[in-house]
Amino acid sequence: MSYELKLAAPLAAFFGLFFILPLLILLYVSLQADTAMTSMAVSQFTRFLFDPFSLSVLAHTLFLGVEVTALCLILGFPLAWAYVRGPAWAQPILIVVVLLPLLTSVVVRTFAWIVILGRQGIVNSALLSLGLTDTPLRLLYTEGGVVVALAQVQMPLMVLPLITALSRIDRNLDDASAALGAGAWRGFWRVTVPLSLPGILAGCMLTYAAAITAFITQSLVGGGQMLFMPMYIYQQATALQNWPFAAAISIVFLAAVLAVVSVFNVLGRLSKAHAEA
Amino acid sequence: MKPTRRGLMTGALTLAAMQTFPRLSHAQARRLVFATFTGSWEEAHKDVLVPAFRKATNAEMVLDPMLSVDQIAKVKASMSNPPIDVMLHDPGPALVAIDQGLVESYPVADSKHYADLISEAQVATGPAPFFQVVGMTYNPDKVKTPPSSWKDLWKPEFKSRVGITNLNSTLGTGFLVEIARMHGGSESNVDAGFQAIKDLKPNIAAVAANPGQLATLYQQGQVDIGPGNFNAIQILKARGVPVEFVIPKEGAIAFKTTIHIVKNSPNKELAFKLIEAALSPEVQEKLMNSPYLIVPTNAKVKMTGEIAKVLAGSVEELKKKFVFQDWKTINTQRSAWIERFNREIA
Repeated sequence: MSYELKLAAPLAAFFGLFFILPLLILLYVSLQADTAMTSMAVSQFTRFLFDPFSLSVLAHTLFLGVEVTALCLILGFPLAWAYVRGPAWAQPILIVVVLLPLLTSVVVRTFAWIVILGRQGIVNSALLSLGLTDTPLRLLYTEGGVVVALAQVQMPLMVLPLITALSRIDRNLDDASAALGAGAWRGFWRVTVPLSLPGILAGCMLTYAAAITAFITQSLVGGGQMLFMPMYIYQQATALQNWPFAAAISIVFLAAVLAVVSVFNVLGRLSKAHAEA
Repeated sequence: MKPTRRGLMTGALTLAAMQTFPRLSHAQARRLVFATFTGSWEEAHKDVLVPAFRKATNAEMVLDPMLSVDQIAKVKASMSNPPIDVMLHDPGPALVAIDQGLVESYPVADSKHYADLISEAQVATGPAPFFQVVGMTYNPDKVKTPPSSWKDLWKPEFKSRVGITNLNSTLGTGFLVEIARMHGGSESNVDAGFQAIKDLKPNIAAVAANPGQLATLYQQGQVDIGPGNFNAIQILKARGVPVEFVIPKEGAIAFKTTIHIVKNSPNKELAFKLIEAALSPEVQEKLMNSPYLIVPTNAKVKMTGEIAKVLAGSVEELKKKFVFQDWKTINTQRSAWIERFNREIA
């Protein structure tokens, strides 16, 4: 064994013991026929995969991730752009703005959103006093509310990779594309976006994975009426003590997330090849 | 000896390990561990029950507050050497713990206080040291006429103002059963209850994920009326939130919270003594008074103060006003109901 591998051994052992082993136990539990856990069967998986309701929860959760990721990208790209291309004095301010959400706990940020979106929250009182609405709008416990809150909570995960990717682009390329007759938009779409694709994909992957598994924000802003996969697992595991089904849901969810992540990976490799070509 | 790098490293690692896994250093004679509920229950037990236990036994004990489901998970994960000696459960989880063989039956014959308990609190698998009560909660600033019946929740004036919880909690499940009963159903047939919740939908402002969240919704003005736990409401009231609690004319939904000796506990004798202290009239009387306001189960405790005013002044009145539901029947169908709630209400 080389010296480098030996140095990584403690971490590998840690992962083996506290990540791989529990994952195998999870798989074992998911293959139990019932809660007594005495006989093995795949019935938990067939129960999930042939149940339209369970599948709709999965689809709903995966789509929530798409919405949050899209919103993060739309709002995050200009922010990263402003950081990279803006004046030097603005950079420290912007990096604080980007990092600030990371410095407070997710729970605190989520509670802040509850206060903002509530019936007597900032948004509703502003709308009421401007006379734009007569009765408070329902913002909390709606999917829109969950998407906005999650987008804010996960924003740094999108912006930081974007900043890295954008700052690596040689600015002479802008001038080159302008000199060759491309307008600002054409230059942006044909030069900047393709070159920043690795950053976009990394940001999307991180945001997506974080958004669909964000148990706290989903349940606090979404309330007890909206069911996403993390809450579904929690409900089965703790409220119903049905560990085999909860384990099976977890495995299905893990597989679904891995599938999405590998799509991003493939896209990432393609974009790299494209950028280097 | 000159300190070597290796020696220092080993020492540091040992210290770190002892810090991370304190149980390693005193794994043997472990102190009695009581898994109470979090929040106000923990505070009440720390202030009253723990000192009473110390006085009676001269032994030390630890409170390890956690949810019922977590208590079950922890004991189940290590049944031969459980990390908890005494568990506290709502009726649903209590039945799960009993079914899975996690509890010792209570040595009723040796108990000094068991016979004094109100009949509903006498449970051989683990007696009830207190009752929890669910009635109607409302914001008196916004709801001028206090509600008097569960039926009031369906009134058009409460459009988008009612708050309920889903069936993950004892409160949500108890509420469903109660309104099913009101519409001619029962614990074994809650169809009418589901229909009533569907009819309630225009009035529902929020389905909270848990009772704790439901309570905070009153604070934020998100909801103005709904079912609520007596003790949770008292905490809000003490913080100056405008909330009031009333018992509807159909009666209050009452749960017995039961206390259990864990099977294979190494501290069975002390566990028994702790439970005896929890059942004693002295402890229950202290817990009944402000600020704890915990409903006593020992018939020797004379009900006074806020409890007498809002809930019941005597055992007879309590028996008349409290509706105890049949959780054995409820538990067999609970998972089906949760699924149904997911599908029909969510």
